[in-house]
Amino acid sequence: MNEFMTAWAVSLQSVWNDSGFSAITSGNIIMILVGCVLLYLAFAKEYEPLLLSPIAFGCILANFPKTGFNDEMNVMMAIGFGIKYEIFPPIIFMGVGAMTDFGPMIADPDTMLLGAAAQFGVFIALAGAMLLGFTVQEAACIGIIGGADGPTSIYLTVKMAPHLLGAIAVAAYSYRSLVPLIQPPVMVMFTTQKEREIRMPQLRTVTKFERIVFPVLSTIVISLLLPPVASLVGMLMLGTLFRESGVPDRLSDTAQNALINIVTIFLATGTGLTMDADSFLNYKTLLIICLGLVAFIGGTWAGVVFGKIMCKFTGGRINPLIGSAGVSAVPMAARVSQVVVQKYAPGNFLLMNAMGPNVAGVIGTAVAAGTALAMLQG
Amino acid sequence: MHQPATTNPLIIMVINMTIVFAVLIGLSFMIKLVHMIDPTKEKEKPAAAPAPKAAPAPAPASPAAPAVDPNLNIAVIAAAVAAYGGDAKIVAIRPMESTGWKNVGRANGVQNTVF
Repeated sequence: MNEFMTAWAVSLQSVWNDSGFSAITSGNIIMILVGCVLLYLAFAKEYEPLLLSPIAFGCILANFPKTGFNDEMNVMMAIGFGIKYEIFPPIIFMGVGAMTDFGPMIADPDTMLLGAAAQFGVFIALAGAMLLGFTVQEAACIGIIGGADGPTSIYLTVKMAPHLLGAIAVAAYSYRSLVPLIQPPVMVMFTTQKEREIRMPQLRTVTKFERIVFPVLSTIVISLLLPPVASLVGMLMLGTLFRESGVPDRLSDTAQNALINIVTIFLATGTGLTMDADSFLNYKTLLIICLGLVAFIGGTWAGVVFGKIMCKFTGGRINPLIGSAGVSAVPMAARVSQVVVQKYAPGNFLLMNAMGPNVAGVIGTAVAAGTALAMLQG
Repeated sequence: MHQPATTNPLIIMVINMTIVFAVLIGLSFMIKLVHMIDPTKEKEKPAAAPAPKAAPAPAPASPAAPAVDPNLNIAVIAAAVAAYGGDAKIVAIRPMESTGWKNVGRANGVQNTVF
């Protein structure tokens, strides 16, 4: 009996020592709670549930002690490799390309300038981050949150500031979902009622030839100019080619459905797995989240102001409200332009006009990231 | 591995924004060039040509025999308004100036979130 009791006690002791309960820290508990809050936001509030739910669950998983996720080869480590070696973001971009209609941008290429102007927010946040003590590489990664482009943010951060990946990815995807709340006040504040009522002409028809030639030529130009983002831009345009050529329907269907869904699960879960207490629970995370908001507001403001300038120069052809769509949250930012226009000028439809700067914003953010890599990668 | 070209945020912004604008302006010119040399554009013109003819049609259409009796249109619209209920009164009937319905359809179609 005595021997049994001793064995029982030793076994219990050993199970306890091996369990996560014996090693869990207050930081881990806080991060598990953060993961639960993110799950609530994803499911109850529907803030980007496709992305936020795997990020949140990855965050919970990352804060269990003694799991050995980072010590030996396992599925979690394999997912981490997909991020570390920049495999997932370009594949996501291929799906984005296969889903996105480049027609509105090709039909009215002048509106591409709005996609460039909205990148200004990136550099407002970059300057703010450097003033707050971040290194120039960290500041560039924080600034790119303002591009509203999750895969590009992750791509740049993995290359220049991998220790900030969790905070930057969460900020980027959270603010993307908050675009309908963040943008309208800025859009209304910097436009007049007369400007909101401007009706833009209907877009011309874009031929199949133009739809196929554009991705090929733009890949050649951007990849030769900025090789560091060749994989991002190349995969984006490959997806577009699948879609626009209309020939490889099965490839287009796979890229914009099954493949992007699978890779999104891995990318978002892997991002969540970087959110362990040691790297996430510090004041820098709060600063990153605040700077991300500044970047978004700055980008929206710059897009609208440049829209006003274009409005003047085109004799009132451009409605400045499509400028805010230059941040590349596709197609949400374009939808926000439409919603604001409908509120202040019912009967005015600018959705397709806003898609031009919206799609140009994706290219603009990739170019900004590529330039930052070329200039700043230490 | 090399050192950053600069750590001055103003210089980074000026250089980066210049390159972003240059690339997108270059792409927009490229799009315009492709549109100009598009060999398939010519094939589409004959198909598109009847459209402008259709637009000014109302002017000559009224002296000529109209294909559809305008009274029939008015009767159909009046019936639709009556079916909707209430004390509606038709003051005027004119074609929609905008392509609003088409755009609403498009807006409803763009419901899927792209990442």
